[in-house]
Order: sequence, then C-alpha cells, then structure tokens
Amino acid sequence: MDEANVLAEVTDVLQEGRDTQKDKYVTFKSGSEHFALKIEYVSEIIVYQDITPIPESEDFIKGLINLRGKIIPVIDVRLRFNQEPFEYNDRTCIIVINYKSTVVGLIVEKIAEVVEIQESNILASPSLGKGDKTQNKYVYAIGKVGDAVKLLLDPDKLLNDEETLAIEKASDGAGEAEEEE
Amino acid sequence: MAEEFNTEGMLDMYLFENTQLLERLQDIVLEKKDEEYFDEDSINEIFRTMHTIKGSSGVMMFDEITAIAHKLEDVFYFLRESHPQNVPHLELVEHVLEVSDFIMGEMDKLQNGDAADGDASEMLKNLDAFLTNLKGGGGGKDGATTGGAAAENKHEEPKQFYIAPMATNASHFYKIYITFFPETELANVHAYKVVYSLKEVAEDMLYQPEDIISDEDSAEEIIENGFKILLQAQIGEEELRKMIGIGYDIKQVDIVECSAQEYQRGFDSFGSEIRIDLDSSVEEIQEKAVNAEKLAEKKQEKKIAPGDFVIQKEPGKSKKLAKDKPKKAEKTTFISVDVSKMDMLMDLIGELVISESVVLQNPDLKVPGLKLDNFNKAAAQMSKISTDLQNVIMSMRMVPLTNTFQKMNRIVFDVSRKLGKDIEFEMVGEHTEVDKNIIEHISDPLMHMVRNAVDHGIETKEEREAAGKSDRGKVTLAAKTEGGKVWISVQDNGKGLDRNKIMEKAKKQGILDEGRSESSYTDKEVYQFITLPGFSTNEKVTEYSGRGVGMDVVVQNIQSMGGTLEIESMPGQGSTMNLKIPLTLAIIDGVVMEVGASSFVMEASVVKEFVSVTDDMMIHEPSGEEYVMIRGACYPVLRLGEWYHMNGYHTEVEDGMMVIVEIDGETMCMFVDRLVGKQEIVVKPIPSYVKKVKGLSGCTQLGDGSIALILDAAGLIK
Repeated sequence: MDEANVLAEVTDVLQEGRDTQKDKYVTFKSGSEHFALKIEYVSEIIVYQDITPIPESEDFIKGLINLRGKIIPVIDVRLRFNQEPFEYNDRTCIIVINYKSTVVGLIVEKIAEVVEIQESNILASPSLGKGDKTQNKYVYAIGKVGDAVKLLLDPDKLLNDEETLAIEKASDGAGEAEEEE
Repeated sequence: MAEEFNTEGMLDMYLFENTQLLERLQDIVLEKKDEEYFDEDSINEIFRTMHTIKGSSGVMMFDEITAIAHKLEDVFYFLRESHPQNVPHLELVEHVLEVSDFIMGEMDKLQNGDAADGDASEMLKNLDAFLTNLKGGGGGKDGATTGGAAAENKHEEPKQFYIAPMATNASHFYKIYITFFPETELANVHAYKVVYSLKEVAEDMLYQPEDIISDEDSAEEIIENGFKILLQAQIGEEELRKMIGIGYDIKQVDIVECSAQEYQRGFDSFGSEIRIDLDSSVEEIQEKAVNAEKLAEKKQEKKIAPGDFVIQKEPGKSKKLAKDKPKKAEKTTFISVDVSKMDMLMDLIGELVISESVVLQNPDLKVPGLKLDNFNKAAAQMSKISTDLQNVIMSMRMVPLTNTFQKMNRIVFDVSRKLGKDIEFEMVGEHTEVDKNIIEHISDPLMHMVRNAVDHGIETKEEREAAGKSDRGKVTLAAKTEGGKVWISVQDNGKGLDRNKIMEKAKKQGILDEGRSESSYTDKEVYQFITLPGFSTNEKVTEYSGRGVGMDVVVQNIQSMGGTLEIESMPGQGSTMNLKIPLTLAIIDGVVMEVGASSFVMEASVVKEFVSVTDDMMIHEPSGEEYVMIRGACYPVLRLGEWYHMNGYHTEVEDGMMVIVEIDGETMCMFVDRLVGKQEIVVKPIPSYVKKVKGLSGCTQLGDGSIALILDAAGLIK
C-alpha cells in the first residue's frame, strides 16, 4: 500500500471516533520488523518536513518541527531502538502521537497500513531472559495479523524510559519558567 | 448527607470567592497590624468577611471552617458592638491570621481534591479563651466603658432596646420565639445577632431578656427560656424566617403573627400563643407552656410595653439603624476569566503576529516591478491593529505587584515576631504592573530574599542598640519599571554583608581562583558568592534561613525569567538586593542570526553591536580560549557553532560576524555565521520532552514558518 493511501485511511479512522478506533493499529516498518501503535495515541501522520536540530540533546531527538504553529519535538524511532540510522527522503513519514498530553513526532522509515488486531490475536510479549532486551522493553505484546506478526509498541516506554525520565526530572526544576510561558 | 449533596460547580465558586475574601482580609489585617487597634471599618470588614465565609462554608458543609469562621466572627462581633478597651491588638492580629491561614490551608486541600479535614478545635479553644478574656478583662477593668458603652450605643435606655411603633396598614406584628441549642456558647451574642439583623426591617422591636449584651448571665437565661422578640415590621413571615435563619446555633424559630392589640400587651401575650398555635406539635406546645410559665414568673419583675421609648421615624420605610450597611464602593465591572483562555488568546495573537510577518514578507511580493502601493497601505493598517491588539492583551495580563508585596508583609510580620525583632516594613511602588507570568515566578525568590533580610539582615535588638542604631529594623520592598524592565529591590538597614566572613567561607569551599589575590575581588564579586549553591554564612541554622539553599535557587529562578540579581551592601548600614526582570516574557524584540543551518534569536536589549573582525584581531590562548580585540577592548569569544557542536558553520572569523553581547556588566563576543535581522518574536517554550539545553531559553517561529532557538545570554556567559 502506498503512503498516500495510508495517510488517507488513517485520517479517516481518526475522524470516525472511538468505536471504530477500537482494536485498530497503525503499523510501520523499522529495520526488519513491523511495529504497531494503537491508533488512539496517533493524532496524525504528516510527511517529512524540515527539522530544526536542538544542540546538545540525545541522538534520537532529531529536533523540533513546526506543526501549524505548535512546536513539537521529533524523535527517530530507529535511533531510539539503537538501530542503524537511515536516510530521510520525501517518502519518510512522521507519526504525531499524543500520549498523556506529550505530543511527539516519530520519524519512521515506512508507514505500512492500518490494521485491526483482535484482542484474541494479541499475545503477551514473551519475556526472553537473554538478548534482544533493548528492543523488548518497548514492545508490550505481539499481535498476529494473518501470518504476519506485529510488535505492539508501548508509547510510554517509547517516550520515557528510565533514562529519559531521569533527564526530564533534572531539567524540570531549571526549566520551569520556559515550560509555563 | 454530604455525599448526596452535589457541590462540584459550587466548590469552584466557593474557593474562588473565599480566596479573594481571605486575601482582602489579610491585607486589612497587615495594614493595621502596626496600629494600636482595628478601626471600625476594618472590624466591620473582618466581621463581614468571616460572616460570608461562615455562610458559604456552612452551605458547603465544611464544618470546621464554619466553626472557626463563626468563632472569629463572634470575636469581631463583640469588638464591633462593645468597643472594648485594652484589646491585645497583636494577639488579635495573630488570631486572625491564624484563622485565615487555616481556612486557606483547608481550601488548598479542597482545591487539590482532598477532604477539608483540618482540626480547628485548638484554635477554637484559643479564640474562646481570647474572647472570654476580652470580655472579662474589659468588664473587670472598666466595665462602665465596655459593657456599658455597648448598651448606651444601642439602647435608648440601658435596659431596653427600643423603637416606637408607627403602625401603618402594611405593618405586621410578630411574636418570635427562638430556641438555641443548649450547647451554644455565648447565646446572648447569638441572640443579639438576630436582633441586629432584624433591626434593619424593624419598625418596632422589643426583646427579652433585654440586657443581652451587658449581662453575660443572660446567655444562660436565653438557653433556658429561649429568646423572645416582639417585632413590628412590614415583611412577611417567610422573609423573617430567612433573616433569622436556622444555623448550627439556632435550634428552632417560632414566628406567630398577632394583632396590634396583642402586640401592645407586650410579652404578656406570649402566653396566649399556645392556644393560637395549632400547627405546633405536642412537644412544642408543652415546651412553650413550660416556657410561658417561666416567662410569667419573670415578667413580674420586668414589664415593659411598647411605646415607652419613642424614636420618630418615617412610616412605611424599613428602618435602618446606626452602624448602617457598608457604603458600597464605586465599582468597576470585572469578569473573571479562566487563565487558560487568556493564555490561549495570547498564543493566538502570537500566531497572528507570525502570520502577519509571513504575509508581509512573503517572497511573492519581492517580484520586481510589482505595484504595491495599496497593499502597503492596507498592510500598515493591519500592522497597527495587530500592535494594538498585542498591547491590549499585554495590559490584560499585567497585574499589580500589590498582592505579592502584601504576602511579603505577612512574612516580615511572622518571621520578625518569631525572632523577636521589631521590624518596620515599607512598600514602595507596589502598584507597579508586571506580566502575570512574572508574578507567578517572582513570589518565591522574593520570599527568600525578604526572609533573609529579616533573619540575617536585621540584627537583634541588643545588637542594634550596641551599634547605636534605632532599635526598629526596617525592610523596604520597592518596585519600579524602567526601560522595559521591572526593578525590584529588597533593602534592609541591618548589619550588611560581612566581606571577610564570605571570603573565609569561599576559601574553605575552594571557590576562589588560585591565582588571584584576595584583595583583587571586588565587593560585588564577593557578594555574588552568596548566590552559589550551598553557601551560607549564617552559623546558626534557623527555621527560616541559613541552610545555604535559597540564594542559589533565587538566582536560578530569576535567571530563568531572564532577570538578574545584584547585591549591594554597606557594613553596618544594611544591604540591598536589586532584581531586574523583563516586564513580559511573551513577546520580545529579537535579533535573528544564523549558524550553519540553524537560526538563533537573541534578545535585542542585550546585543550591543555587530562587528566584522579580521583574523589579526584574534588572540589565541594556549589553553584554547580565544579573545578578540575590538577598539582596544578585549572580549572573550564564544563560537556558537563550536559551542553547540554543530555542522557546517563558518570557522574563519572573516566569513562571519561578531555579536557583542552585554549582560550584567559582563561582555562577550559571540561568533555567528550571518545576521538576518531584527524581529519581534513570540517566545515559546521548548517542549518539555526535550531536556534543558544550556544557553537556550526557548524557541520561536520565524516569519517563514521555520523554527529558531532563543539564546539566553546569561546562560551563555556563565
């Protein structure tokens, strides 16, 4: 499916309201895996636009974009997963998510589609004692769509793992004035 | 009950109104704290405030608040009616503040969705003791002027309050019988309150027992026998009931309308009411019968009939007695607006300013040969309107510092009392208006500074005496606006900062530069040390200060608003802390510049000049630091691209531009690639998701929709 169609579909679903959003996921490809995000967290999908880098911030935070007057940070999901960086092109998309009033753009390699995953097809993510840990912490469950497998992302972990939380806390005190303006 | 009672919408209103009332109350109290006593207006105001709070809290079923407000109301009621002498004023002030703190605290809890579960019983006890003391003390020492005075003020004759009947057709005659709960304390005062509220409508009134104010024993009598009122008024029974109201003090109100003849017979006719009152329950009738008997015994001694004492009054109008209703102040109409809506409006206007520049600087307009006369005219008109719009929203957000300063007054009062220092607090220019955002951020730093001034600035009485100073310390809080900045100073006439002590401490903490001699530090530099974390010269840690947290936080807060702090001090004469803060945080004049692919903005007021330099003006230190000589002055150089580890920035000084930045008397040169221009920018916070970056204070949207980062000069110079 091509991006334009996915965008249109996502917009449709987003406009339809809660009931139809149930069990729907936006999937995207990052590296070799397909990830899925609950559609209720997704506020929109936009095409790649110029990003203003913020100096001295973490690698995966690519910078700020201007979303119709709102300035939001964008993060590169591949870098977030400690995968190899990739070249952005005009097919690159940004998924804007709103999780607990934190609005963040996710740069993803390729938007795949909107899928419906019934609860019965969702398995708890197997806890592996070894390896793959870096990736596993962002994935809370695995969803089956036909033969394919989608990794369901936990937006909380994606945005705030312990590491970023600590940083936020440290900056909270000092940054109060700016935050409340 | 409470659960069934839906109070959600009311709660907001309740909190809002009472917060305002309490703030007003604190203002009054603090204003009068240095005087000998509360004047009549203040007493009335405090009384009314407490009355209102009691009422609304009663409705909301916050019993503790109701009780404590009621108690304080009682105290002020007594003050108002009896004008006792020898009121321990400071003690009273403390009581009032304590009560208002308690209520504030409870309201905070409510605001946060907790239950108002504070326990006021201790305070109630204290207030009770205070009131009893007031009555006892006043009565004992000069009973003639206290209790007597009240009686004289209110009563034509000491034994009877009385207004003559002027019967008109519309007049009704009532017999009112009020039963108080047996546990009601000072029932006489409660009874008088009823009388007082009825006075306004009474054409004629008679009550028994009559000497309820001067005679404390009447309280018992009232509890035992009830309180009886004969009333001639033009209002209906329903209204009357409302006026008397049933509170937690009044158990029952019986109102019987009677004829003029019955009325003329005075209290005798109370007995007959048993026969008339068919609606009453058996118990009530029995109760009344008992009371009537008792009454019959009593009336042997006291028999007063209406008409004995006459005050002429215009018939048909409801009577208003001395101590009239408060004069209504001239009112400006206000509406209270949700702050978030204001912020939204502010944001929208910010957007508007940006889109305006997008339109007016649109590249499409730059096509050569385009005739733009009409466009430019229209554009100028639009710019004017948007500027006006900005000014209006700004002025809406401007709030006088008065409230904040009043809070400081309170702190001075509290701390100085606890420390046993006698301190005068002076406010200068408290009406200076500042952006709401600034007010929010300024309160804490100011509080620290004021506390510091009271705690370590001002010496103890003994020390002051020894130094030959007046024994009264003084703390002055002053504010003014100048050049788009607010200047706030906290000044004390205490001992001043001790340079030697600070140096010693600095040495101990290893803050001093190895290579510098101690004497080469200017006083200003030395005083700045106290703003470093963990630096306190106070040997003793008191409740208020001395832990060394404080000044560094103060400075941090002030800097985060783009402000600065300067400390001046004269040994033996006191110190002054000068705060300089921008008037507003939202829209600033900025200089836009570029480094690599990024745009940066710096507040225009700190940019001194732009200079193109050549390589031979540069001085390189072996340590890697760079300086530039411009017209004989040497400035440290900060290469922005390097500082932020960016890519694609100019490295040759000839290719770029030096920006001379001055803040707090410190100057430096910032090396950037290009200057873009000066522009009004709307400051936006960097999303909190991104961690704080040193030297950046926010971001903004430029005319072309791209984002620029706002540089914080103070942060960079550090």
